[in-house]
Amino acid sequence: MPDFGLSEEQRSLQELARKFARTEMAPRAAECDRLGRFPEEVMRKAWELGLMNLNIPTEYGGSGLGLVDQCVIVEELAHACAGMTTSVIANCLALEPILLGGTPEQKQSVLTPFCSSYHLASFCLTEPGGGSDAGALQTRATRDGDHYVLDGEKCFITNGPHASLYTVFATTDPELRHKSICAFYLPRDTEGVTVGREEEKMGHRASSTSTVRFEKARIPVANRLGAEGDGFSIAMRTLDQTRTPIGALATGIAQAALDHASAYALKRHTFGKPISEHQAIQIKLANMAQDVHASRLLTWNAAWEIDHGRKGTLESSIAKCFASDAAMRVADEAIQVFGGYGYMKEYPVEKLLRDAKLAQIYEGSNEIQRIVIARELLRRYA
Amino acid sequence: MVVVAELRDGRLVEPVREAIGVARSIGGAGATVIGVYVGPPASEGVGEFSRAGLDRVVAVEGEPFARTTSSARARTVAELLRELAPRVVLLAGTSEGRDLAGRLAVEWEAGVATNVTAVEPLAPGPIQLTRPIFGGRATQGLELPGERAVLALRPHTFPPAAASADAAPVERRAPTLPQVPVGAPTMTGFTASATGRGPDLAEASIVVSGGRGVKTPENFAIVEALAESLGAAVGASRAVTDAGWRPSSLQVGQTGKSVSPQLYIAIGISGAIQHLVGMVSSRVIVAINSDAQAPIFKVADYGIAGDLFQLVPALTAEVRRVRGR
Amino acid sequence: MEIVVAVKPVPEAETRLRPDASHASLDPEGVKFVLAGYDESAVEQALLLKESTVGSRVRVLSFGPAPRTEEVLRAAVALGCDSATWVEHPSDLLPDAVLSARCIATAIAGPFSGLVLCGRQSGDEEGGIFAGALGALLKVPSLGYATNLRWKEPRGQLTLQRSIEGGLEEVESSLPLVVGLQQAWNDPRTAKLPNILKSRKAAIEKIPWEATVATLGPHAIPGTVRRTFRLPPPRTGAKMIRYDSPQDAAAQLVRLLREEAKVFP
Repeated sequence: MPDFGLSEEQRSLQELARKFARTEMAPRAAECDRLGRFPEEVMRKAWELGLMNLNIPTEYGGSGLGLVDQCVIVEELAHACAGMTTSVIANCLALEPILLGGTPEQKQSVLTPFCSSYHLASFCLTEPGGGSDAGALQTRATRDGDHYVLDGEKCFITNGPHASLYTVFATTDPELRHKSICAFYLPRDTEGVTVGREEEKMGHRASSTSTVRFEKARIPVANRLGAEGDGFSIAMRTLDQTRTPIGALATGIAQAALDHASAYALKRHTFGKPISEHQAIQIKLANMAQDVHASRLLTWNAAWEIDHGRKGTLESSIAKCFASDAAMRVADEAIQVFGGYGYMKEYPVEKLLRDAKLAQIYEGSNEIQRIVIARELLRRYA
Repeated sequence: MVVVAELRDGRLVEPVREAIGVARSIGGAGATVIGVYVGPPASEGVGEFSRAGLDRVVAVEGEPFARTTSSARARTVAELLRELAPRVVLLAGTSEGRDLAGRLAVEWEAGVATNVTAVEPLAPGPIQLTRPIFGGRATQGLELPGERAVLALRPHTFPPAAASADAAPVERRAPTLPQVPVGAPTMTGFTASATGRGPDLAEASIVVSGGRGVKTPENFAIVEALAESLGAAVGASRAVTDAGWRPSSLQVGQTGKSVSPQLYIAIGISGAIQHLVGMVSSRVIVAINSDAQAPIFKVADYGIAGDLFQLVPALTAEVRRVRGR
Repeated sequence: MEIVVAVKPVPEAETRLRPDASHASLDPEGVKFVLAGYDESAVEQALLLKESTVGSRVRVLSFGPAPRTEEVLRAAVALGCDSATWVEHPSDLLPDAVLSARCIATAIAGPFSGLVLCGRQSGDEEGGIFAGALGALLKVPSLGYATNLRWKEPRGQLTLQRSIEGGLEEVESSLPLVVGLQQAWNDPRTAKLPNILKSRKAAIEKIPWEATVATLGPHAIPGTVRRTFRLPPPRTGAKMIRYDSPQDAAAQLVRLLREEAKVFP
């Protein structure tokens, strides 16, 4: 990765995302955060502008972007509101299993409608009984002729209440753990699918989250992705693709925190001068800037590795883990720079801390990321 | 020196008097200032023009000019300029004046500058002038090295010339050039702006914003009344838009719009940092607030501390009085 | 209808203005130049007219140095302009509006019978000179401060409104015409992501400076010379008005705004 600059094309994508973030997302961010409102109008506008199905190849009508391109966009969106961003990019996560495991016919029939009109999809992996231990999932898929019957419950499902399609991971035999996991997709109006109430969250409050229950939901065998038992690998490879943009999301939060803190430090006076002239504040800002910069470069590096056909497991785990931890530190310090005002909801920085927290947890908790990092690391010395 | 007249409703507009004042001041004692009027027959307006401090007036009056826009008059003005051969032509910085400036610069082959706020007295060599750029966030010093110059002045920047007791001689001429080419833009109607929407917030030269100090959504009408009297755009602080008193499209500040008008009037806005970053680059800031210690007064140029429910209506009334409506 | 839009790359609104080493002009170092303000309205208006009339095409032209001019043209193509022409000039040339108009007129070339749209003033120098100058050079009528252009098909007439002192003027005109746009009455569109990607690959016609100089001859120099670029001094706190009555406060303020600040209209 010798060239750290963005291409003119990437710059224009960045500009589009920045403009969208400033004009459509930022003005609604505080209100949606306060009310826990899912801004459907923002989602539709994001879809119209082509900011939603970033990873879908152009042959199905998507944007067909590489991961670096996606990261550039996601960072800009998250600068305005991480919650909305999570909802905007949820289609990328939900549809990636189809890209990875689908036949050409499945891709054509499922992906094309998402690009020709506005639809949301949800990725249903996590269960109430376990998140990080995906091999232990309990949702059952029982073969019945040319159908599977699905029973079980998924939780923390982003866009669950608004999605028209779910990609679901279920096991044909829990004893066999990850060897028996299958990936399916099914329309929300399938009989036996019920959506639970919306969760009240600490942050990411503009994003909509719910449980999704399956009770004797019948899925045609034709809706299975890959072979029986391919599900675990599809899930893990999906997360390999989508982990890096979470680094970009965290970078966006951190950059927003740094921007707010720096602008405030220049304007706020104590002891007869702007607080930006106090070294205590300068040191904070300098540390924050280092975190932001490192987060961005680690994220771009991971994305670049994957765009160049490498697995990028180590790099993407480092990027996601570092950037989300950094976003917590930076948002925390931004509140400190604002002092009492930072603790008030009238100012935008306390939201950043609440939003950053989720980035340490979802799409593979940072503890899991560290296990992955250690495993990849030690393999090189073994 | 030539000053081009502009009439509205048959009356001379104030910026023309300012242009005459500038012509007098930069030309020095010996300068001749000729007034040029090209337009529909207007004996009263031309009479007013002739008493506005000019040495002589040349008027080309023709009925067809009544419904044309400046581009139709430009050829006739340029024709007169070739004959009168002034060093400098001064125009009022109105929309008509600025439309005319670009055409005259080409048709009369002159250097041109608009929105001029200062001109050095004429001397041999280039003309030196100053004008604001970037919405008043910077000032540009310009030099016009050519033999001819067209200058449109920023309105209300220069003092108007005193009217003269005696009318300058008026030479009336019949139009010689074809006045209105077939198909050229024609005025078909006019709606006075009292009923129109205000200018766009981001581009307005004056913005009047209200904040939490206005107290209720109904009270916000005093902010809007002041804006209307000034022909200004209405803005609001985040407190106002978040409370739903006014739409978020009006929000000025960090998460709203950034504005840099010539004049920003902040009413009942304390000056939270989130608001300040959206308006500090305004050229002149006025703050009206009940709290004399409000931080807004640190960035404002002029401040009035007191009861805004009395102060703002009084200001609206004063503006209406001064602007004559 | 043949629609031409002339645009100028200008620093984005948030730019921190700094004078260059000569203190005569803006330091372009690190400044992001964009399609903005009135020019954005001109492009939007062109596209709306194109969409409402059959067989119209929009050609966007811009006079300026590399790389900003090409970027602004690509942005206009991404928004929906059909073709783009870049009239290039060296980056050390500081043109004025009349020279810009001459160069654009050269690029339009030939007898022109269509509609030219541009911002009613540029977002940086704010001269409002370009439309009139271009109209005079093309020998077609011109007007500024326009909004709400509509093409009336049966009579081949354009109607528009001019937002001028005191109100809204209704104007009717046939073509050819040069129009300087006031802000659009609605928000200008945003380019969609796939169109941005396509615009990166669009062909842009480039007219080299040498070719323009050869056509313009002695007119290829600016008629104005930039001498100084100054920033206003930092603010030092408000002058507080002391008053006897609200009416007195209002009268004092209006007088100060008029006579001292010189901002009162």
